[in-house]
Amino acid sequence: MTITEPTVSGELLAAIANSCDRIAPTWPLDQFIAVNPYWGWRSSPIEAAAGRLGVLAGTPLTMQRSWFREEWLAGRLSPDHLTSTAVELGDASLAARALDVLRSEVAGEQPPVRRMALVTDLRDQGTGPIRGRTWTDLVVHQISQHCASHFDEWQASWAPDRSSGLFGTWRRDPSVTHGFSWARGSAWARTQLHSLPEAAPEAIAAILDDLAVERAGHEAYMTALLCSVNGWAAWCAYRRWQARLAESDDDVIVELLAIRLAWEWLLVTDLPDEGNERDATRDWAASWALVADLAEQTVEEQRIDWLLQTALERTFQDTLATGLPEASVAVTTLDVQAAFCIDVRSEVFRRAFESTTGAVQTRGFAGFFGLPIDYRPAGTALSRPQLPGLLAPTLHVTDAVSNDVAEARVGRLHDHQRWEDFRHDPSSVFSFVESMGLVYSAELLKDSLPRRRASDGRRIGLGRARRTGRPHFGLIDDDPAAAAVIGHRVLTAMGLRDGLAPLVMLCGHGSSSVNNPHAAGLDCGACGGQTGEVNVRVLADLLNARAVRCEISTLGIDIPDSTWFIAAVHDTTTDTVELFDIEPVPEGHRGNVQALVSVLRSASQRARAERATSLGVASLAGDPSALERSIVERANDWSQVRPEWGLAGNAAFVVAPRWRTRHLDLQGRAFLHDYDWRLDTDLSVLTLIMTAPMVVTNWINLQYYASTVDHHRYGSGNKVLHNVVGGHIGVFEGNGGDLRIGLPMQSLHDGTTLVHRPLRLSVFIEAPRESIDAVIAAHQVVQDLVYGQWLHLLRIDPATGAVERHTPYEWQR
Amino acid sequence: MWRTARAATLVAAVLSIGLGAARVFAGAAADDLVRIDSVTAVMLLLVAFVGWVVVRFSGTYLAGDPHEARYARLMLATLASVSVVVVANNLVLLIAAWTATSLALHGLLVHFGDRAVAVAVAHKKFLLARCADVCMVAGAVAFWSAFDTLRIDEIGRVALGSASLSLGGQIGTVFVAMAVVLKSAQLPFHGWLIQVMEAPTPVSALLHAGVINLGGFVLLRFAPVVDQAVPTRTLLVVVGVSTAVIASLAMTTRVSVKVALAWSTCAQMGFMLLQCGLGLWEMALLHLVAHSGYKAHAFLSAGGTVRRTQIRRLAPPVASPRVRDIAFSAGAAMLATFAVGLGWQALPGTAELSGTVWVMLGVVALALAPLAEQTGHARVTMSMAGALLVPVAYLTLHELAGRVVAHGAQTPIALLVFAAAGFVGLFVVQSACRVCPDARALRRLRPWIYSGLFLDDTFTRVAFAVTPPPAAGARPAPLAQRGSIAVMPTQRTAPDGPSAALRFDALVPSLASQLDAS
Repeated sequence: MTITEPTVSGELLAAIANSCDRIAPTWPLDQFIAVNPYWGWRSSPIEAAAGRLGVLAGTPLTMQRSWFREEWLAGRLSPDHLTSTAVELGDASLAARALDVLRSEVAGEQPPVRRMALVTDLRDQGTGPIRGRTWTDLVVHQISQHCASHFDEWQASWAPDRSSGLFGTWRRDPSVTHGFSWARGSAWARTQLHSLPEAAPEAIAAILDDLAVERAGHEAYMTALLCSVNGWAAWCAYRRWQARLAESDDDVIVELLAIRLAWEWLLVTDLPDEGNERDATRDWAASWALVADLAEQTVEEQRIDWLLQTALERTFQDTLATGLPEASVAVTTLDVQAAFCIDVRSEVFRRAFESTTGAVQTRGFAGFFGLPIDYRPAGTALSRPQLPGLLAPTLHVTDAVSNDVAEARVGRLHDHQRWEDFRHDPSSVFSFVESMGLVYSAELLKDSLPRRRASDGRRIGLGRARRTGRPHFGLIDDDPAAAAVIGHRVLTAMGLRDGLAPLVMLCGHGSSSVNNPHAAGLDCGACGGQTGEVNVRVLADLLNARAVRCEISTLGIDIPDSTWFIAAVHDTTTDTVELFDIEPVPEGHRGNVQALVSVLRSASQRARAERATSLGVASLAGDPSALERSIVERANDWSQVRPEWGLAGNAAFVVAPRWRTRHLDLQGRAFLHDYDWRLDTDLSVLTLIMTAPMVVTNWINLQYYASTVDHHRYGSGNKVLHNVVGGHIGVFEGNGGDLRIGLPMQSLHDGTTLVHRPLRLSVFIEAPRESIDAVIAAHQVVQDLVYGQWLHLLRIDPATGAVERHTPYEWQR
Repeated sequence: MWRTARAATLVAAVLSIGLGAARVFAGAAADDLVRIDSVTAVMLLLVAFVGWVVVRFSGTYLAGDPHEARYARLMLATLASVSVVVVANNLVLLIAAWTATSLALHGLLVHFGDRAVAVAVAHKKFLLARCADVCMVAGAVAFWSAFDTLRIDEIGRVALGSASLSLGGQIGTVFVAMAVVLKSAQLPFHGWLIQVMEAPTPVSALLHAGVINLGGFVLLRFAPVVDQAVPTRTLLVVVGVSTAVIASLAMTTRVSVKVALAWSTCAQMGFMLLQCGLGLWEMALLHLVAHSGYKAHAFLSAGGTVRRTQIRRLAPPVASPRVRDIAFSAGAAMLATFAVGLGWQALPGTAELSGTVWVMLGVVALALAPLAEQTGHARVTMSMAGALLVPVAYLTLHELAGRVVAHGAQTPIALLVFAAAGFVGLFVVQSACRVCPDARALRRLRPWIYSGLFLDDTFTRVAFAVTPPPAAGARPAPLAQRGSIAVMPTQRTAPDGPSAALRFDALVPSLASQLDAS
């Protein structure tokens, strides 16, 4: 078979674009924000998407049935909901079948997902490339190594040739021709590769033509191919995502597709021209016409699983909803108002904080506090976004340090670089080890002993300015009016237009762990996988600046002189809260700050005591200082793979005033966003919440969900095998294989039980029906998520606190 | 369980320190089975320290793993066997303990026995290790015939006392050297070491810090014999230099941190064998010990790569150097290093440096050259510190190591020239990569270096064709992989069903049985 002159039809281009759009991006490890890996499928209902995903990628979207049985036995899945949900679906008999599944110990397991075969699967029926290895594995490995080399900027110091793009350099990669024993010889393989068109779309067109894959199945086939190298496809999708945020584009994902397709073609053409195997490939090519039928069958087979899943989620919703009507508004004078990130970990701390004194009010808001900024540390070349990955930064923050300090830092950074090169260059590694290697024995000893504090090195080269340096937002001084517009917008969105307490604490969050490739995943996702420190310090500065306050008052918000904003960061690993920039606090507010510090300290103790059990140190819960020491040492332990549980357990998003849930123990499972519908006359705040934080929480929720239900595809595997790729791109599990995306096993499972139980997010909004309906109607993305059942939408009745459920037809009690 | 393991390694560490102290006061001691001298003391302390670190690390790291207990047992068994290797004075005991080390380690390498790659790689290592065992046995037989004893210290003593080495002795050293080459992951037998990242990180740390370097230690035990065997020394120098050069270049092309570290170990072991071949026994011991701590730390802290990259990314980029920058800095580094060397010789109480040491100082000078470059904003103090601190540290450690192990016999000039040429070549390639990274020749060379000249691919194909690896087993694991089944739907035409139904040809029926073990 040879390649004929290719023509790329518009139809094929659309199919390529559609298949690439199915792949959700993955962010690099140093900005490891949560991503909903099913994002590309959101325009289909989740059950239909599950059918397609199953057929194309072999991935299940629900847990195995034995797990539902366990949940049922533990009383977390109510049979009543099974029945009522089945009736709603119009198939009452399904409930009986589901109950049978739950009751039977062995017979209930669902059949394995049936996935369309690829050529690699066909070839794996015959002899493998090497005894004991499959073509599927080796093809993924080769592509993965090639991609890693191409995209790596920080691990390898000898850079590869990238001049002809991902696909172009792959065509010349000797690991394809020489790394495998081709039946027709390596010279043949080289000729084959050379005969391919140079541009990816042309190559795709030519190969599809040559393989004679059914036209109706083109898009499905290409999607299946991308799913077979899902990790790198996600990385390419990230490149495209970033390019599009910058209003440009990136087509490298199409090149990846061309590579994977070219592998299929090589594996077909390497077969003898006649014979059973070649005949099988013809049948296989024709089978792609039937992919839609197979998907439909799969949906049918999975209905019982979705019934179980939905009933489980409704049972959970009940436990939350029953407490809501008991809420009451407490009227007290406030000493402190504290705004926290909506993160589920804030819920634990806020409850502890509120229980220490009645004179605090806490509020939930997105942890980047609405500032669309990036941050460039002084004297450095790196600027990092401090906002959700869905947005592009428009304003810049840097450090307020003198030029001398910045220049000195560049020198120190280059020194550091020089020394690192000495350590890693091929001609110096030997001498380095002999002259300096023994120093590392001391390091080994130091790192093995318990530590209270490990330097993270991020403030390297600042010298004495390490302590005094602080983020500086030029806009505050340069253009107070523009800064005031931001301040006004943020205060309005937080619902802090009046009634400000003497002290307003703006509390971001971050985590502390060492030797942890996924550390950024524990930091604030709304701040782009960084801590919220820069955002809260900048916002507090902005709102404390006299000139800005004057401008804000002209916009309609009066910030009284008696109010001071203070920046704080909640360490979610150790549950301590650090206050920033205390020195400039005016005399009159010092006392309040002192009082706040001591309240925070006891709140920290309570929060740690609550978390002690989940961290396996329940025995220390009664001894605050021992518990603190244990948790701090844990955070600084280089062998610790479970420094904290992150957002495991997340299942609900409550959009309501805090008093609605203040009396409830939500067990760190709920995102909390403050919202008072009475102040939101034009629905701008509700629109913002439903199009931004609700989407972000959906991303987080489905990241945890997908990492749990199909860990192999959407989770990153066992941390003890993690092998960082390209310095920050992602991890391999072990020696190689595909790039692994999603959460590590240790973030979901404690070794004996599943810590994150996968439930789709239940969004509770306290607002009138018409308001919510209006926002849904106006925004396609909200419609997709709500109607497609990618989350559950529930409404809290403002008058009674009763909860009703959104269905495609009506609101239902 | 982990508490017991930690206690055991701690006791071992204390004992080895005691042993070292006893050795200082009471002198060396040896009997038929056990030999206690400075080398033993140093090695025991190293093993105990690495053992303590790795066991301590594993206790937290593997918490909740279903096979935690077995892992701990195997780790202690590995450490115990290594300790026996280190004290053995009898060839049979040495071989048995070395084999036991390999077998215990094998259990750790297949900790994830459900991973096909883990099983295949461990199998590859198993084959090589058994070949090495055969070589060791052959070497022992040759030594026995030549020296009429299996006591290692006796063999050395006889060799030291005689002017030349018998044929049996020559053959014995060749076999031992071959065993060492096989066990030290030298080209082309390096593949398993590179791919063995399929075991938990602390296993890699233990392997790279406490097991792989045993080859160097064993050679050291036969130093007096090897010194007299020029063919063996040639073998060691050729294999060592080739591996050091190719593997260190491969290291700079690799994309994942652990694989880069593995190539680095491969290169470092090559360098150590080169030093053995050149008779620089004291430096070989120093290299072995210093590399252990360094590499254990590098592996255990591999998770910090992301943070370290963040710090590196802070530095504004530096322009590529020009040829004359490199030539100038290399010249300056040479001058500084040799000046330090001359000054060192002039100090009272230091021995005159041998020609071999001068060659090695040349390697140090090439290493320092980039430090001395005047590019970017790095400061002069850095270059100064590098140019002085490093050679002084090097010579000091050389002097100290020389008190533990004696310098070997004179080295044939040809070997020195070969080694020097290797490192000059390495420096040239490295510099070319910095000056003109886009040169055609370099672009063509890189994929070959990346894949280690495809030596392992060929080796694996041949080896697995002869003895295929066992199949991966099932293993209860949290969040185990959920299987799927590949199908090829066809329209059903048979009369016994509805005509519109689909039929599925299950392509991979064997997969179905492995499903949903969790």
